Amino acid sequence: MALLTVQDLTMHYRTKLGGVHAVDGVSFAMAEGEAIGLVGESGCGKTSVAMALLRLLPDNAQILGGEILFEGRDLVKLSEHEMRKVRWRSISMVFQAAMNSLNPVYRVGQQIIEAIQQHLSVSEREARSRVAEHYNLVGLDPKLMDRYPHEYSGGMKQRAVIAMALACSPKLIIADEPTTALDVIVQDRILRRINEVRAEFNMAMMYISHDIAVIAEVAERIGVMYAGWIVEMADTVSVFKHPAHPYTIALMSAFPSIKGDKRVLAQLPGEPPNLLAPPSGCRFHPRCPHATAECVDEAPRLEEIDKGHFVSCWHPQRRSQ
Amino acid sequence: MLRFVGGRLVQIAITFFLFLTVVFFLFQAMPGDYTKQFIMNPRIPPAAREALKVRLGLTDSVWGQYVNYVRNVFTGNLGLSFEHYPREVWDVIKERLPRTAILFLVASVMAFVWGFPLGRYIAWKRGQTLDYTITVAGVLFYTIFTPLLALMLLFVFANQLGWFRTGGFLTPRLWLTPPSSPQSIFIWLAATLAGLGTWAVLARFATRRIGHPRPRRLAQRGLVVVGVGLAGLGWWASGLGPFAWDIVWHMFLPVLAVTLIAFGGDMLLMRDSMLEVIREDYITTAKAKGLPDKVVRDRHAARTALLPLVTSFTLSIGFVVSGGIVTETMFSWKGMGLTYLNALLIQDYPMAMGCLIFTGILVLVAHLVADLLYAVLDPRIVY
Amino acid sequence: MTDRTPAQYAITPLWKMRLRLLARTSRQNWSLFWESRIGPVGLLIIGLFLLAMVAHPILISTVWEPRVYDPVMGFDRALIGRHPAPPSWSHPLGTDPIGRDVLSQLMWSARSAFALGVTAAVISVVIGTLIGAVCAYFGGVVDVVFMRLADLVMLFPFIALLMVLRSVLPLTLIRLALILGALSGLGGITIVLKSQALTVKVKPYIEAARVAGGGSWHIIRRHIIPNIMPLTFLYMMFNVTAAIFTEAVLSFFGFLDIRMSWGVMINTAQQAGYLGAFGHYWWLWAPAGAAITLLCFAFYLVGRGLDAVVNPRLRRR
Ligand SMILES: Nc1ncnc2c1ncn2[C@@H]1O[C@H](COP(=O)(O)OP(=O)(O)OP(=O)(O)O)[C@@H](O)[C@H]1O
Ligand code: SF4
Ligand SMILES: [Mg+2]
Repeated sequence: MALLTVQDLTMHYRTKLGGVHAVDGVSFAMAEGEAIGLVGESGCGKTSVAMALLRLLPDNAQILGGEILFEGRDLVKLSEHEMRKVRWRSISMVFQAAMNSLNPVYRVGQQIIEAIQQHLSVSEREARSRVAEHYNLVGLDPKLMDRYPHEYSGGMKQRAVIAMALACSPKLIIADEPTTALDVIVQDRILRRINEVRAEFNMAMMYISHDIAVIAEVAERIGVMYAGWIVEMADTVSVFKHPAHPYTIALMSAFPSIKGDKRVLAQLPGEPPNLLAPPSGCRFHPRCPHATAECVDEAPRLEEIDKGHFVSCWHPQRRSQ
Repeated sequence: MLRFVGGRLVQIAITFFLFLTVVFFLFQAMPGDYTKQFIMNPRIPPAAREALKVRLGLTDSVWGQYVNYVRNVFTGNLGLSFEHYPREVWDVIKERLPRTAILFLVASVMAFVWGFPLGRYIAWKRGQTLDYTITVAGVLFYTIFTPLLALMLLFVFANQLGWFRTGGFLTPRLWLTPPSSPQSIFIWLAATLAGLGTWAVLARFATRRIGHPRPRRLAQRGLVVVGVGLAGLGWWASGLGPFAWDIVWHMFLPVLAVTLIAFGGDMLLMRDSMLEVIREDYITTAKAKGLPDKVVRDRHAARTALLPLVTSFTLSIGFVVSGGIVTETMFSWKGMGLTYLNALLIQDYPMAMGCLIFTGILVLVAHLVADLLYAVLDPRIVY
Repeated sequence: MTDRTPAQYAITPLWKMRLRLLARTSRQNWSLFWESRIGPVGLLIIGLFLLAMVAHPILISTVWEPRVYDPVMGFDRALIGRHPAPPSWSHPLGTDPIGRDVLSQLMWSARSAFALGVTAAVISVVIGTLIGAVCAYFGGVVDVVFMRLADLVMLFPFIALLMVLRSVLPLTLIRLALILGALSGLGGITIVLKSQALTVKVKPYIEAARVAGGGSWHIIRRHIIPNIMPLTFLYMMFNVTAAIFTEAVLSFFGFLDIRMSWGVMINTAQQAGYLGAFGHYWWLWAPAGAAITLLCFAFYLVGRGLDAVVNPRLRRR
C-alpha cells in the first residue's frame, strides 16, 4: 500500500493581483521507504507542495481541491489538532532555509528535545540520549547539543536540522533543498549520509531541488515540476534515459555534458510563466518547440506512457539521451 | 564580560564628564551669575555669607570654579539648596528620588505586564479588526498629551467619582501627629513593594515544575495572595497601616497616568517586534514540529521578540526625571521632576543642577544595565 | 517589453521612463500605505488640521471681527466680566480668561504647530541623512566622532535641558525648531540612517559607480541618499510628533517665547488658576489638549503607515 497518495492537489495563493496558481492538479504516490525527488525551476511550486503536505501554508494560501492520503487518512480534512500530531511524528521536514530554522535563543539540543517530548512520552534523559544518537548518525559530536545555533557552522547547523527531522522517526521526511547553501563537498557528504540513514530506518523521503543532478544521486523516482504542474514522473533511470516531456528534455540538456556547454538557452527560449495568469492549455506551450494548436487550447493530463512512466503532454517524445 | 563592563565604565565616566561640563556652562551662562545669587539670597544669614564666599571659591576664575565643581560632584558634594537651606542638595534628592523611582517602577511594571501579552496577542491576530483597534488605541495612549491625560483622569476619578485624591503626597489632616515620619513610612512601603515583587518572581520560579497549567497558575496566584496578605497583616499590626494606605491612595492616579502612557509604547513595540519575529523561519520550524500554537507563540516568538522591549524598558528608567516633570506637576507628586521644575522656577540652581546631574547618572546606569541584560537574554551576544 | 529592440528603448526619453517608473512605484507604495489602514486615517486628520489652518484667515477676514476674534489681541466686550465664558453661538468653544475666542486660538495655532513640527523634522532628517550617509560611506574617524556624539546626544534629557537653556536664550518658535531638529538629527536618527546607508553601500551598483569613476560626493548624492530616502521620510513623521509634543510641554510650563500655541492656551488657563476647577472650565484645556494629542497621533499613524511601506519585514505578504 502506498504511504502517501496525492490526488489532484490544487492550491492557490490569494494576492492583491489575483490568485497565484502555485500547485495545480498535482498527483503522485509514494511507497513506504521510497525516496523520490521533485525537481523544477525556481518558483514552480515545489516548496508549496511540501508545505501543503504539512498544512503549514501562509494565511493567504488556500487548498482548493484534491486530497492528500497519508496512511489512509486525508490530511486536507484533518482538524488542526489532529494535524499537529501528524507533523514531525509522521512527516517531518528539512526546510529550504535550514540555516535559519533554529531559534537563536535556545540551545540546539533543547530544540530537538522539545520536538521529541511533544510527540513521544519519554523523560528528558531519554530524549537527550535520543538526540545524542541522532547527532552521531548525522556525524555531529553530541557534546554540541548544549551549544547555541550561532556557535554552529553552516554545515553543522544543516546536520543538526537533519538530526531534528529524524528525531521522532517519522514515516516521511521532506528535504527542501537541504544542501543548497553548502559547498559542493559538504553537500555531497551530507546527502549521502541522509540517504544511508533513511535506508537504514526505512523512512520515505522526498527530496526537493532545482538541480536534477543532486536529485539523481539519491532519488529512486523523480517528478519534474513546471509552473505548478507535475509534467513528468518516472524512475530515475527512465527520466535520464528516455525523458518524454519537452521540458524534461530541455532540463536534461542543460545538464552539463563532458564538453560542459550549457545548451539550455538555445533549447528553452522565454521565461518561466507568470503563475498569476498561467498560459492556456499546456502551461509549457509558449516555450515548447513541439507546441501545436491543441497544446494551446487544451491542457494535457498526466498519463502513463510506459509502466510507471507518467507524462503530461500531447506529444510525448520518444528518444533516448 | 569584565573587560566589556570595564570599557563601558570608562566610556560612561567620559560621557558623564561631558554632561557635567555642558550643565555647568549652561548654568554659568544664565543671566545673573548664579553664584552671586547664592550670596544675595536673603534666606542665608549674613554671618554665613563670608564663609560661603570662601567655601564657594568665588574668588576663582570661571575655570577654577569649573574644576572645583567637577571635583565636588565626583566626591559626592552637590552643595546646598537655596530653598531648603541649610539642607544639602543631596539630602533633598535622597528624599525625593525614592518617590519618583517607586512611581515609575510600579507604573513601568504594570505597563509591561499589560503591554507585553496584549502586543503579543494582537501581533498573532494581525490584520484583524481587533488588531487595528488595539493598535490605534495604543498609539493614542502613546501620543496623548500628558497634561490632558492627567486632567482627564483627575476630572473623572477625583472630581466626578471622588474615588481618589486630586494630588499631593498625603492628606495633611491625617498626618497631624504621625507616629513616624512620612518619609520612613514611604521607604517601608517601597521595601514592601520590592519584597512583594521578589516574592511574586520567586513564586513563579518555584511553581515552574508543576506540569499542568491550571494547578500551576493556581499555586502561583495562591502564593501571591498569601504574600500580599502577609504584607497587609504586617502593616496592620504595626499600626501604621492607615498612613501607608493614605500614601498609596495618593499614588494611585499618577501611577495610572504613567502606566497608560508607557503601556501604549510597550504594546506597540511588542507588536512590531513580534511581527518581525513571526516571519522568521524558525517559527515555521516550530509549527512544523507540531507544537501547539500557544507554545510557538509564547516560547518561540515572544521570547525573541521580548529583547527590544526589555531594552526600551530599561532605558525608560533613565528618563524618569525629565519624563516625571509633567506627571509629577499635574498630580503634585513631590518627586525629582517636580523638584527640578520648582528649583528652576525659583532659581534654586544648586538644586536644579543636582537634579540634572542625577538624571545623567540614572540614564548612564540604565544604558549599562540594558546592555548587560541584553547579553543575559540573548545568547548571541558575548562581550 | 521583450519585443523591444535597444533602438526603441533609445527613442523613449530617459526622463519619460523615469517618470513612468516613479508613477509605478508611487502607485505600489500608495496601495501598501492604504492597506495599512491606519496611515490614511492619520492623513485624514492632518488634512482636517490643514483645513482649519487655512480657514482661519478666511474667517477673520469675513465673519470674525478681528477686534473680537484675534487669537492674541482679541477681546469680546459683550461678555465683559464673564470671561472665561462657556461655549455659545458667538464663541463655539467659549473664551479664555482674558476674553479671547478659544476656537480662533485653536485654529490659529495649527499653523505654528505645523511650522514647528515640519521645520524641526526637515532639519533633523537633513542632518541625519547627511551625517548618516557620510559616516557610512567614509567610515573611520568621522564615523567614530559622529557616533559618539549621537550616543551623547541621546543621553540628554531634552526637555529638562531646554528648560535651562531658555533663560540663556529665549526660545522662539524658530529657535526651538532649529534646536529640536539639530538635537534629534544628531541623535538617534543618525544611527538608524547610517546603518541603512551601510546596507546600501555594499550593493554592487555602488562598486560599479565607483569603478565608472564616480566621485565620492557624486555616489553619496546619487546613490546612497536616494536609497535611504524612504526611511528618512518615515523618521520625519515620527519627528513631527516629537517636536509638537515637546513644544506643547514647554509652552504648557510657560518656558517658550511664543505668543500663541495649544500649549500656551493651557498655560494661560493654568496661570489664571482654572485648571484646578476641572470640569467647570473644560473648554480652557480640553480642546487645546485634544488638538495636540490628535495632531501627534495623526503624524504617528502616518509614520506607522509608512513603516508598512518602507519596512518589508512588517508587510503582510
Ligand atoms: N505566500 C505567498 N503568496 C503569494 N505567492 C506566493 C507565496 N509563496 C509562494 N508564492 C509564489 O508561488 C510560486 C511557487 O512558490 P514556491 O516557493 O513553491 O516555489 P519553489 O519551487 O519552491 O521555488 P524555489 O526553488 O525558489 O524555492 C512562486 O511563483 C511564488 O512566487
Ligand atoms: S503539451 Fe504541447 S506544449 Fe505542452 S509540452 Fe507537450 S508538446 Fe509542448
Ligand atoms: Mg522552494
